[in-house]
Amino acid sequence: MALFLLYPINITLRRGTRWKRGKRGAGSVRGFAPYAESGGGAPGQPEAKLEVVSLSLVNNLINGVSLGSVYAIIALGYTMVYGIAKMLNFAHGDVIMVGAYICFFICSDFGMSPILGILAAVLVCTLLGVLIEQLAYKPLRQVTSLAVLITAIGVSYFLQNAAQLMWTSNPRIFPAIFGSGGIQLIGDLTIPYKTLVTIGACLVIMAGLILFTGKTRTGKAMRACSEDKDAAQLMGINVNRTISITFAIGSALAAVAGVLLCSAYPKLIPTTGSMPGIKAFTAAVFGGIGSIPGAFLGGILLGVIEIFSSAYLSTELANAIVFLVLIVILLVKPTGLLGKKVSEKV
Amino acid sequence: MLKVDNINVYYDKIHAIKDVSFEVNAGEVVALIGANGAGKTTTLHTITGLIRPESGSISYTPEDGGILDLARVAPHKMVARGLAHVPEGRRIFLQMTVLENLEMGAFCKGKPAKEDLENVFGRFPRLEERKKQVAGTLSGGEQQMLAMGRALMSHPRLLMLDEPSMGLSPILVEQIFDIIAELHKSGTTILLVEQNAEMALQIADRAYVLESGRVVMEGSGAELAASEEIRKAYLGG
Ligand SMILES: Nc1ncnc2c1ncn2[C@@H]1O[C@H](COP(=O)(O)OP(=O)(O)OP(=O)(O)O)[C@@H](O)[C@H]1O
Ligand SMILES: [Mg+2]
Repeated sequence: MALFLLYPINITLRRGTRWKRGKRGAGSVRGFAPYAESGGGAPGQPEAKLEVVSLSLVNNLINGVSLGSVYAIIALGYTMVYGIAKMLNFAHGDVIMVGAYICFFICSDFGMSPILGILAAVLVCTLLGVLIEQLAYKPLRQVTSLAVLITAIGVSYFLQNAAQLMWTSNPRIFPAIFGSGGIQLIGDLTIPYKTLVTIGACLVIMAGLILFTGKTRTGKAMRACSEDKDAAQLMGINVNRTISITFAIGSALAAVAGVLLCSAYPKLIPTTGSMPGIKAFTAAVFGGIGSIPGAFLGGILLGVIEIFSSAYLSTELANAIVFLVLIVILLVKPTGLLGKKVSEKV
Repeated sequence: MLKVDNINVYYDKIHAIKDVSFEVNAGEVVALIGANGAGKTTTLHTITGLIRPESGSISYTPEDGGILDLARVAPHKMVARGLAHVPEGRRIFLQMTVLENLEMGAFCKGKPAKEDLENVFGRFPRLEERKKQVAGTLSGGEQQMLAMGRALMSHPRLLMLDEPSMGLSPILVEQIFDIIAELHKSGTTILLVEQNAEMALQIADRAYVLESGRVVMEGSGAELAASEEIRKAYLGG
């Protein structure tokens, strides 16, 4: 069983491309198998086999961390909006999709530089996020959280349908904006540039957010709002403005995540953001919703667990396994890995 | 300085404040006393805009003169006008450090001034020792000190305190009231809401008694403290 699984991984390693997760259907793993004939790590060569095992392990780990970085960036947006507005913005995943389309059009259709594409995506998504907050969520701020939740689901479908109308559901193939090469580490192990960019972006974003919420006046005001909006108002903090800023930041991050996601998995359709959105939400809960390092940790772990379970256990069941692990962890630690319970003193 | 005129406040259908009027003059300590559910907290919340009155007006004379109808001022703009409100139950930011809480108190001023921090630490040395500590780990008394210190960071002209003695040991209650007296001496006008009528009437220049949303009695602190009715209802005989 294990050997059978090793074939495709070995092959893709040698070809310098990443092994695609079960995105294109369960057949993808088997689909690569015929090429194994020309590969080096064939059965019956014990030493080569060992090397392949450790190489594939490292490679899977890198892929897991890379996918996890995308989840983490999305989860950071989820967790910040939840922390401050106390709502689950289920349309967050679809903002990712919009960001990816914007970048796609700028880079592919207009042939402009990827940097412009990313900037345009960030700009459009930031505006979109603030617009959604002002039009759909703000009027409901005094209403039950269930009404807001339903509205968020509505906004999510609205964005998907609008994208279908404007851009059709024909898949677009996202351009390789970070180039197709990579950095060769040792021997056969190459890390593609897009993976490096993804992991790097995630680290920079998380560090930036920690500094922002910990050190700046606006960031501290955000934390104050997340704890007690009335008390924050009494301090002179404009709560509505702070919530808008939070949506702006979260949506800008969604745009970045959209570009990174589609660089790794180039098939872009109007529902592209929905599954990563849900997974990232799970990652945020897993890490402890409201916690920035928690969203980071949750995202990375989720990506790693997902890639490992599809590589070593079952491609078909990868998602189910991911959620199983999460449920077990949440049973043991209901507030998530880094979530804290606050005890109030009266 | 503050004139509340015939305000009516509702929570949906509950008529919580009924035609309440009172005044706070510059330099005074005015106490608002009353039993549980009388409407004291609601009155303060109405003044700082966390809830709006259906009718009536709340006029405030800001430092630069003129008259401001507080019912039309956004709640987050009150503190810049010199109104600071220490809410019931302290409502400090439990996950932020003591220092960060104080910074939030000075939010309308931008960066907190060094003298202001020193002033607060001078009044509450305990807070200085714990300035890096997360506020949620403070004791109840320390949390009350932090809530008051946080309000002082904005240099209030009118300081509103909602049950500052709640849940504190008698010694701490004395301490808190000493600090209120000091603040009063240094020129801060104070509107004090208290269950602890005895302490409140001792310190108050004037006081109002609220009962199910209405003002039922008013007078100087000494007058009310001497009143038969008040003694029976609030001072334990
Ligand atoms: N958020 C709310 N929704 C509905 N009713 C409320 C709300 N807050 C207060 N009330 C009602 O308004 C009335 C006045 O409440 P308020 O909190 O102002 O009383 P209080 O004088 O501060 O009492 P306490 O001394 O117990 O703090 C009470 O009858 C209370 O039940
Ligand atoms: Mg009260």
